[in-house]
Amino acid sequence: MSGFFADGLAGTVATWSAALVTIGVWAYLVGERRFFRLAQHLLAGLATGYLVLLAVREVLVPRLLQPMVSDPGANALLWPALALTVAMAGARWLPRPVVAIPVAVLVAGTAAFALGGAVAGTLLPQMAGAVLAPGLAPGAVLNGIIGLLITVLVLIAFLHGAPRRRVLVGAAGAGRWLLLAGIGGWLGFLLVSRLTLLIDRVGFLLGDWLRIIR
Amino acid sequence: MRLQGGGMAWLALLLVLAVGVIVDARETSDALQLANPDPIRSAQVRETFARLPAQALVLVAMDPDLGTYAEIRPTLRAALDDLLRGGASLAFVSVTAEGRAIAAAELERLRDLGTADEVLLDLGFVSGAEAGMVRLVGGALPVGASGPVADAIGAGGGGIGAFQMVLLVGGIDIGPRSWVEQVGTRLPALPMVAIAPTFMQPELAPYLRTGQLAGLLATVRDGATYSQAVAADRFVLLSDEPRGDRPPSSLAVLLGMLIAVGVLGRQLLGSLPGLEGPVPAAPVEEEQS
Repeated sequence: MSGFFADGLAGTVATWSAALVTIGVWAYLVGERRFFRLAQHLLAGLATGYLVLLAVREVLVPRLLQPMVSDPGANALLWPALALTVAMAGARWLPRPVVAIPVAVLVAGTAAFALGGAVAGTLLPQMAGAVLAPGLAPGAVLNGIIGLLITVLVLIAFLHGAPRRRVLVGAAGAGRWLLLAGIGGWLGFLLVSRLTLLIDRVGFLLGDWLRIIR
Repeated sequence: MRLQGGGMAWLALLLVLAVGVIVDARETSDALQLANPDPIRSAQVRETFARLPAQALVLVAMDPDLGTYAEIRPTLRAALDDLLRGGASLAFVSVTAEGRAIAAAELERLRDLGTADEVLLDLGFVSGAEAGMVRLVGGALPVGASGPVADAIGAGGGGIGAFQMVLLVGGIDIGPRSWVEQVGTRLPALPMVAIAPTFMQPELAPYLRTGQLAGLLATVRDGATYSQAVAADRFVLLSDEPRGDRPPSSLAVLLGMLIAVGVLGRQLLGSLPGLEGPVPAAPVEEEQS
């Protein structure tokens, strides 16, 4: 049970709509593409409308326009933000050098946050976590050694263009197979994930819609 | 008229549904039980929750996506139930648009179930993805926020540092990893517990090992074990139905598996040339004399 739909008329309409769209998407499995395409368009339209509403109601008005109107002097940094927003919104009609500035700020800011976070929050702590400290249990040491071996072999598999000897060729081959095994394992997780979603939809149709199960 | 392909599939689905109605599945479809539950992850999460002080402030970072939320929904609802029952106050925030939609729906659901407004707060949507998370560290309260939870956050400095724990709810887009990288590095003492879909397990498990995550529920098995533990506690303590989801019914699991096996089998058979039947003979062109 999704628990999102109430028992009244609105809930019934929502449940029927969700059930019909679910069946419309499943119709693709049996070669019926019209309902599937309709569901796709419905999703795209609803998502776009929702995003516009979200941007206007929760970002542009409360965080940009209202502070500027209420106290323009105290929020001086919002003026360049407004200029960048206008430049992005008018990208289609403005000259490229003008549009390049907000795009550059956006890309550079995103990259800086992502890269800084990846190094400080993932790379360094994970490297520190992989170091084998003295006094570890034998199982943990073995685990660490296996992890190190796999990492080295997979890294060797990415050695392109460098002259290779026979040992390196063998190690690179082993690294490729280990990489494939890792991807296979991840695909297994993905399959279980998707199967769970399918089961949820079946449960929705049988429980929320048809009331066959509780 | 002879049914083929899609027609047969629809007929099979109708037959299954009809059998379900005839045997009255309400009496036979028990909730899914795990034959071999693994309690380690579930216990880690419950211990983290148990260490929270009385009337703890918990930030729920809701960034799941619509496509995978159904997988983690029962686990998340069990966790929210667990936290609320432990006396925690919850503040919901999202840095993704889809997460915001789901957060709004979950808040509405909690209010409909009778959860007091005094223990819930909607911090809304924060734009800027990772930059938004960093901004939340300094100040999480939106303009005009009021109520006991908002007051408590304000008294604690107004940022994420005012919270005693963060519950990270992840999806395909921005998820627990970004929170660990952006917020965990700035507030290393703040415990973070993550709930994520199964496919994110390989990505998030290393953070649990390094202690950057205090708990992680990222597989169906872990989630089901945890939900069962919470439901059992609630039943023992209050003789009450949990506010979380019921686990999926065994009939839904069986049907879902059958559909999946049927689709996979059809694809497999279709990809093997020898099983597609005899190759139709090429039309013979008549010689024109």
